[in-house]
Amino acid sequence: MSSESPSDPPLLRVEDLYKRYGDEEVLNGVSFDMDAQDVQVLVGPSGSGKSTLLRCVNRLTEFEGGRIALDGTPTDEMDENDLRRQVGMVFQDFNLFAHLTAKRNVMLGLRRVRGHSKEEAEARALEELEQVGLGDQADSYPAELSGGQQQRVGIARALAMDPKLMLFDEPTSALDPELIGEVLGVMRDLADQGMTMLCVTHEMGFARQVATDIMFLEGGHLVEHGPPEQLFENPRHERTAQFLDRLTSLHGGDHG
Amino acid sequence: MAERAAGTDADSASGSRARFGDRDVGTLATYLAGALFWGWIFLRWLNDWSGGVFVPARQAFVPPSLFRGVAAGVPVVGGAFEALAFAFEYAPALVNALWLTVVLTVVSIALGFVIAVPLAASRVYGRVSAWVSVAYIELLRGTPLLAQLFVLYYGFPWLTRFFRGLPGVGQGVLPGQAVFVAVIGFTLNSAAYQAEYIRGAIESVAPGQLVAARSVGLSRVEGVRFVVLPQALRYAIPGWTNELVYLVKYSSLAAFITVPELFRAAQNIASSNYRYTSMFVLAAVLYLGVVVTATNLMEYVGRRVAVPGISGGEGR
Ligand SMILES: Nc1ncnc2c1ncn2[C@@H]1O[C@H](COP(=O)(O)OP(=O)(O)OP(=O)(O)O)[C@@H](O)[C@H]1O
Ligand SMILES: [Mg+2]
Repeated sequence: MSSESPSDPPLLRVEDLYKRYGDEEVLNGVSFDMDAQDVQVLVGPSGSGKSTLLRCVNRLTEFEGGRIALDGTPTDEMDENDLRRQVGMVFQDFNLFAHLTAKRNVMLGLRRVRGHSKEEAEARALEELEQVGLGDQADSYPAELSGGQQQRVGIARALAMDPKLMLFDEPTSALDPELIGEVLGVMRDLADQGMTMLCVTHEMGFARQVATDIMFLEGGHLVEHGPPEQLFENPRHERTAQFLDRLTSLHGGDHG
Repeated sequence: MAERAAGTDADSASGSRARFGDRDVGTLATYLAGALFWGWIFLRWLNDWSGGVFVPARQAFVPPSLFRGVAAGVPVVGGAFEALAFAFEYAPALVNALWLTVVLTVVSIALGFVIAVPLAASRVYGRVSAWVSVAYIELLRGTPLLAQLFVLYYGFPWLTRFFRGLPGVGQGVLPGQAVFVAVIGFTLNSAAYQAEYIRGAIESVAPGQLVAARSVGLSRVEGVRFVVLPQALRYAIPGWTNELVYLVKYSSLAAFITVPELFRAAQNIASSNYRYTSMFVLAAVLYLGVVVTATNLMEYVGRRVAVPGISGGEGR
């Protein structure tokens, strides 16, 4: 870890990314790097392209211009299923497989993608559910779980694939306020354990305490990118200050 | 959602004990009636195929003359006994023909299902194949089933010749060539209708789940196979049951291409005994028995595969 030389490739490199839907230019030359164990928080107004950016990283969406490399390998040279195996994703609406228990939600990828035997997959799934504090809910169906519990299953499902990088797309936005804390708590633990995380979130308490960097995206441009202290205390752009102020007054509470 | 699922469980648990005590009796009676109906039918098939183990082939287990004797002696309810005697006299021949009705329905719905699933999936997820699916589905649903059967039977005589040339066709338990042609017709037609029910069900599965499946590294096909279809097929059960019930009744159209199934058998017998109404009522009772069985069976399947938050008929 300590032997990282400057010439090592970053864990994630996004270079001059362009993406349009029809005539609408959604991403206009976005570039940034993430090192291993970084936690980057991405904020920006609705429609600024945050979700699109995340989906470009694991190629759920194809893009017109630019390059993305994971661990030095351009993602367009990787098998897309293999890329997605290495990049976990957590969704605003959880997107759990509704016909499967919590345990089987986690097991599906282990069985079909990683080729684990049923026993191996089950043991690993239980381990991951324990990690997110749901060992006792392994046999519950999504409809029997609270939103917070469902989101934690979603996190366990992604973690079971041993990802190098985790993408979070507003993981707490669909949750009742009293359930936000349990999900942020799990994310905080993950960060402490050294997971590399790219998070779209409006939770400014989390951003201040956990993020190594905050990125402010607006109109498809990365307007500002820097450590939380800089963006909160000394933003270079007036827009950044205004936006973060508003977010802080709306979502500044310390839930975790 | 969680509350609703729990509420249903609690209702049925307490209900079976106290409030709807008679519902259990009703279920029991349904099962008993079903067991009697099918027990009798299977015994009849066994008897007739083996050349008559219990009674000579195609003769009633209980001689109709028994009821005729009572009918003659009793003044007021005699008519009922006369009807019973009629039923017992002709039921054996109809039950024999019912075999073909069951075969036509079960084989066609099953083969049709095998075609319908990829058809529905490609209509939802395909590009070129979506157009092929749409064209197929609309063609088959947009033209009369009887016309489709006629085209297969009279329009492609080589098809009939092909089946006639297969060893054993029309001998012993293997039905004649017209039955094979009818099965093809019903299969192709039913596949189109089943595909539409399944397509609707596929579209009612939240699309985010397929995205989530792909985000853990499953391919699109695997995502559809392991995430979308298991849910869609549960949602499709009520619509699919409808199609099954229709097919039971539409199988009678095979009569028009010479298949001696239940409807044709009733018609044939009526043309010699001139009791058209009575013969068709008797046939209708048998159709009804099959349809009620099919509905109950599918309801049972629906209950067996139900999962909290997903049961047949939800999600539309
Ligand atoms: N599949 C799509 N087809 C067409 N346009 C799209 C699609 N997905 C997103 N867009 C458009 O791209 C723009 C950026 O969308 P995106 O979802 O990335 O924004 P966002 O920053 O995540 O917003 P939010 O905070 O509301 O989630 C929006 O204007 C949206 O309408
Ligand atoms: Mg978004």
